[in-house]
Amino acid sequence: MSEFRIKAGLAQMLKGGVIMDVVTAEQAKIAEKAGACAVMALEQIPAEMRASGRVCRMSDPKMIRSIMEAVSIPVMAKVRIGHTVEAQVLEALEIDYIDESEVLTPANKELHIAKSDFKVPFVCGAKDLGEALRRINEGAAMIRTKGEAGTGDVSEAVKHISKIKAEIAEYSKITDENELNALAKELRVPRSLLDEVLKAGRLPVVNFAAGGVATPADAALLMQLGCDGIFVGSGIFTSENPQLLATAIVNATTHYDDPKKVLDYSTDLGKLMFGVAIDSIGDKDRLSKRGW
Amino acid sequence: MISRANNITIGVLALQGAFAEHIDHLTTAADSLQTQPINVIPVRTPPELDSCDALVIPGGESTAISLIAERTGLLAHLMDYVASEKPVWGTCAGLIFLAKQVVNGKPNQQILGGMDIQVHRNAFGRQLHSFEAPLDFSSFIKDVIDFPTVFIRAPVISKILENAESESESESELTTIISNNTYKNKAPLQILHQLENGFIVAVKQGSKLGTSFHPELVSDTRFHKWFILEFVLRE
Repeated sequence: MSEFRIKAGLAQMLKGGVIMDVVTAEQAKIAEKAGACAVMALEQIPAEMRASGRVCRMSDPKMIRSIMEAVSIPVMAKVRIGHTVEAQVLEALEIDYIDESEVLTPANKELHIAKSDFKVPFVCGAKDLGEALRRINEGAAMIRTKGEAGTGDVSEAVKHISKIKAEIAEYSKITDENELNALAKELRVPRSLLDEVLKAGRLPVVNFAAGGVATPADAALLMQLGCDGIFVGSGIFTSENPQLLATAIVNATTHYDDPKKVLDYSTDLGKLMFGVAIDSIGDKDRLSKRGW
Repeated sequence: MISRANNITIGVLALQGAFAEHIDHLTTAADSLQTQPINVIPVRTPPELDSCDALVIPGGESTAISLIAERTGLLAHLMDYVASEKPVWGTCAGLIFLAKQVVNGKPNQQILGGMDIQVHRNAFGRQLHSFEAPLDFSSFIKDVIDFPTVFIRAPVISKILENAESESESESELTTIISNNTYKNKAPLQILHQLENGFIVAVKQGSKLGTSFHPELVSDTRFHKWFILEFVLRE
């Protein structure tokens, strides 16, 4: 338990902040200078992975190490779903947080990593309450709603965070013991975990929004919907002026409830990410469908 | 110290980090004390800061908090606030922000200079070296012999700068940041707790309190209660 508190505690320190995908030490420095609360080190941004059609794996530790050396904020890195050894490698590297991510090609089609076995904390993606609770039950110390990575379309992120909220509200009305037991069974989680969430009215760990964030207003929208912070993937470094946009997204995440400030942060940012509308992507090409 | 007899407001700096946890703990602690009414509010703007009789600076990423404070126009107000001698408590990143000097900081990171201490950022190393330990605080909080403390990528107080004229040279190759606040805390600096390895993790200087660890992450509000009694309500 105390070990879990330390894992979940780092996520609590990231709240109200922005975690940015970076592929080089230079980008990591730009993110840190913009006020990012952490960076996610990876070889390719999701938009490129999406376009490549190749198998995407954990990044070369050499590249991750160069980013760990370049900045003093926490560094996260991704492993494939179910790839326990990639996670062991990153733990040996002393990474601060591991993202077991659907953006990479899954290594195990049935099981996710047994995350409680690790000392390093994990963040995992989720589209709904059941998925979030299954990951927490496996030991995830932080959740990010999946959205649809690499699109610049925020609608899936909105959908996933709204869904988790709506499910918690709906299930909280259930008082019948049998019904609650059936629900826990359907969600494939222990009843005690379900009870804890329904009693608190929120997930027991920090929940960031991710997938398709491309503007300061996108970040503020997700914060208004009740998430604890923001992951920005492809949006920043595919824009014309990454330093300017990264700074504006950080500012808007702090002052998400102040339209005059968000107006200021949204103004004159140059050309933004191209964007792929979610409806143009077939079901089988959606990264958020990975994970179970 | 507090001019108004009732309706005290404690602010929690809410730019980034674990501010909600402090707000919860302060609210619970204030309710249990049943003294005069105490409001606890998040602080993001100068008017909000001006309304506060005391301020808590939470944990988070110290570079993020400092950069956001600077570019949203709050930094100068925070420096003035610290100089006003009102109570301020910094935890973890808040301790870094409150210090006069920071080792292993970032060149563009501004600090408030409210306490005559040098703080070493990420002194224990990366997340894998984060830990939890019960500590004996009974020398300054009555009967608290086993307070659960959580250290997350924590800083420590690496040097007491009292009497030493702000030395700019650093013994390591790491960047040392020096506050450009002209305020001078005239109260004596008091070490409240030192770990067995000699690391200083809690200090007090007049109306200012700094801790490396996170009392807001555990379900124990005794530390917050003590802060309210000892710093906020003290006449």
